[in-house]
Amino acid sequence: MLKKYYTEMKNGLETAYQQKPRAWIKMNIQLASIMIDAFRDDAKIIWTSFYSFPMELLAAFDVVPFDFEIAANLLPVFNPDAAVEIMNKAEEAGYSTDICSYHRLAAGCSMLGYMPKGELLLSSSYFCDGKAKTNRLLADHYSRESISLDVPNKISRESVDYVAGQLRRIAGKIEEVTGQRFDLDCLRESIRVSNRSRRAYRQLAELQKVTPYPYIGVPVVNMSIFGNMLAGREIQEQIYLDMVEESRKKIMEGNLAQEKYRVLWLAWFPVQPTNINQIFRKNGVTVVMGELARNYWGEMDESLPFESLALWSLRNPYVGTIEQRLKGINEIIDEYKLDGVVHFSTDACRHSCAAQKMIGDALKERDIPYLVLDGDMSDKRKYSPDRTQLLLENFIEVMAGRK
Amino acid sequence: MQGTNMKIGYFCSMVPAEIITAAGLKPVWVKGKAGMTAAADAHLYPNMCPYIKSLFTDALEGGDTTYDGLVFARSCDGMRRLYDAWEAYIPSKFTYMLEAPKNVDQLAVAYFTSQLREFAVQMGKASGSEVTGPALKKAIQDANKTRGVMRDLYSLQKRSPLPVSGSELFSLGLEILQGNGNDAAGRVSSLYKKTAKSGGSGRGRKKIRIMIGGNVMDRPDLFQMIENAGAEVPIADLCTASRYFERVVDEHGGDGFVSLAEAYLGEPRCSRTAAPAEIYARISGNVKQYAVDGVVLTALKFCDQQLYDIPYLLRRLNGDGMPVLFIENDYVFSDRDRIRTRVEAFVEMLES
Repeated sequence: MLKKYYTEMKNGLETAYQQKPRAWIKMNIQLASIMIDAFRDDAKIIWTSFYSFPMELLAAFDVVPFDFEIAANLLPVFNPDAAVEIMNKAEEAGYSTDICSYHRLAAGCSMLGYMPKGELLLSSSYFCDGKAKTNRLLADHYSRESISLDVPNKISRESVDYVAGQLRRIAGKIEEVTGQRFDLDCLRESIRVSNRSRRAYRQLAELQKVTPYPYIGVPVVNMSIFGNMLAGREIQEQIYLDMVEESRKKIMEGNLAQEKYRVLWLAWFPVQPTNINQIFRKNGVTVVMGELARNYWGEMDESLPFESLALWSLRNPYVGTIEQRLKGINEIIDEYKLDGVVHFSTDACRHSCAAQKMIGDALKERDIPYLVLDGDMSDKRKYSPDRTQLLLENFIEVMAGRK
Repeated sequence: MQGTNMKIGYFCSMVPAEIITAAGLKPVWVKGKAGMTAAADAHLYPNMCPYIKSLFTDALEGGDTTYDGLVFARSCDGMRRLYDAWEAYIPSKFTYMLEAPKNVDQLAVAYFTSQLREFAVQMGKASGSEVTGPALKKAIQDANKTRGVMRDLYSLQKRSPLPVSGSELFSLGLEILQGNGNDAAGRVSSLYKKTAKSGGSGRGRKKIRIMIGGNVMDRPDLFQMIENAGAEVPIADLCTASRYFERVVDEHGGDGFVSLAEAYLGEPRCSRTAAPAEIYARISGNVKQYAVDGVVLTALKFCDQQLYDIPYLLRRLNGDGMPVLFIENDYVFSDRDRIRTRVEAFVEMLES
C-alpha cells in the first residue's frame, strides 16, 4: 500500500516539476524515491531517523535509509482518513491514544504489513522517548536488531567519546548485516560533501534574513525534519544551491511575498492538511525560520569523522537543558528580526509541551508574542480548524498591536 | 550547603544512593504528596507524568525545604523537563542532573562510570567529605545487605499462603527507599527469621495470587484493593518494589564506580532500557517462580516508556494464556473506586 502511495506521490511531483522546476519539489521527489527504493528486493535497508541520526554515516554505505516515522506520516498529507483507519488498528491492539500519532500510525502500518523490513533498525535517544521505543518494538516485530544512538544531555570529552564509540559500533553492525566493508575514506568524503551542503544551506539561511523573506518558510521548517536524509550526498548541496538561486532571483525581481509579520515556528509543522498556511497568507504572516532549520551544528572535521558526527548530535537544540534551546530561540529572533513565535503543540510531544511555559516566560521578558497552537501532526481527530483560526487570528491581533 | 547527615532527595532508581551515602549524606527517594496538580499543569503540561507533576506541585507550594539537595537523572523526557522547570522556578539549595545512559552495553558502562565519578565529586563538595574508596565500598556493602534482606523476604513469598502480605512487604520496601533503611531493614530481618522458621509447604493454597508489574508506585492502594478482593500479591515488579531490591552491586570489584555502573545498568531493568521481550521474560519468570494466577500491569498515565510496551506485553502474556488486567493510574489513585471495581471483577474471574 505504501509503495503504491509513494509511487503516485513521485509521479505527481515529477509532473509538477516539469511544469514548474522548483528545488522544493526536487527535494520531495528525492524523498519519494528513497521511500520507493526501500521496497526494492535487492535493497539493503537500514531504518533510521532522518532528522536525528547523522546520515553521513549511512551515506558511506550502499544502503537505502528508511525513516519509519516519516514514511508512515506521509500518508496524512493526502489521505488523512486512511491514516486514521490505520491508527485505529494500533489503538485496537492496545496503543493508547495518549501516544504520539506519529508512532500509532507507524505501528499500525507495521501491523498491516505496509512497511519494508530493514536489515537493522537504528534510532536515537533524543527528541522523544517514543521514537526509540517504537523502533525497539518494531525491531521485535521484524525479528531484527534495534540500536538507539544514546546522546547525553551535555557536551564533554566523555560524552563525545561515548557517542563516537556508538557510531563506530553502528558502522561495524552495518558491515555485519549488509556484508559491505566500511571505508573510512568514504565517510570522510561523505562529511566533506555534507560540509559543502552546509555552506550552501547557510547562504539560504542568510537570505531568509531579507525582508520580505524570499523563500517559503514552511518548507524550510519541514526541510529541517527530512532534509537531513540527504546529508553526505551530492544531491543535497545541489538542492540547497537551487533554493539559493531561486531566492536570489525572487529578490532581484522583487517577486516577494506580502509580509506584515515575521514569525519563528517551534517544533514541527503538521503533516495533515490544515488551514494554517491559508490564514497566514491572508494576514501577511510569514514563517521565516524554524528552530531546527537554523544551521546550529557548525563545520565538521573530516579528520575526526566519528567525533564530528557525535558533536552534530550533541549540538541539537533538543539535546540538553532548556537553556540551550532558549539561547537558540533568542538568537533566531534577533538574527531574523521576528515579530512573534508560534509553538505547534502536539499533546503527546511531552518534552516540547513541558517546555512551553519556560519558553513563554523567556519571550515575555522580551515582549515577543508567543502562541501555543494546539493540534496534532497526523491525527485529524485531534485537529480543529476553527480553533486554529481563532488562536491564530488572536495572535495576529497581538502582533499588530506591537507594530 | 555543606555538612553530613543532610538529606539528598532523588527521583529515579537509576541514581546510585550508595554514592550519596559514601559522601556522608542521607539519600531519600522522594515521594510526591500532591494529588491535585493544577500548579504543575500550568508550569509543565497536563499530559505529563503524574508523579512528576505531583513532585513539582509540592515544590511550587512549599519549596524544597524537606531536602538539602536534589538529584535528577536523565531518565526520561519528563524528568529532563522537571529538572529544567525546577531550575527555572524553584529556589533550590543544590541540584544535580546525573547522566544515566539509555543503552546498556560496555560503552554505556564506561560512560556511566565517568559520570558517577563526577557525581561523587559533586556529592563530596556538597557534604565537605570526599567520597573515598573505602567509604564507597562500605556504602555498597551496606546497601547490598539491606537489599539482600528484602530479597530474602521476597524469596519466602514463593510460599503459599504468603508469609507476609504483599502490601506490608511493599510498605517496608518504601521505608527503606525513603531513608529509614536501618530501622526498616532490622524489621525486615526479624520478619524474615520469624517467617522462615514458620515453614510453608506450598500446599493448601487458598488464595488467588496476583503479580503487579509497572513502574513508579509509592502508595499501597493497588495492593490493598487486590488483598481486599480476597487475593494476594506475592511479587511486585516495580521501580519501588522487587525490581529495586533485586539489584546486587559487586563488592569485590577493584573499582566501586565500575561496579555501580554495571549494576545500575544491569538487570533487572525497567522499560526505559529493557527491550519489551526482556520485560516479558522477567514477568514470565516471576509468574512461574511465584505460582501466579494473574498479572495486573499498571502504568502511570502519560508514561511513554511504559505505555508503548503495554500492547506487546498484553499480546505475549495473553498468548501464554495468562490473564492480565491493565490499569493506568494517576499516581495517587484518585479514581480508586473505579479501579477497585475492575480489580474485584478480575479476581472474581480468576476465582471462577
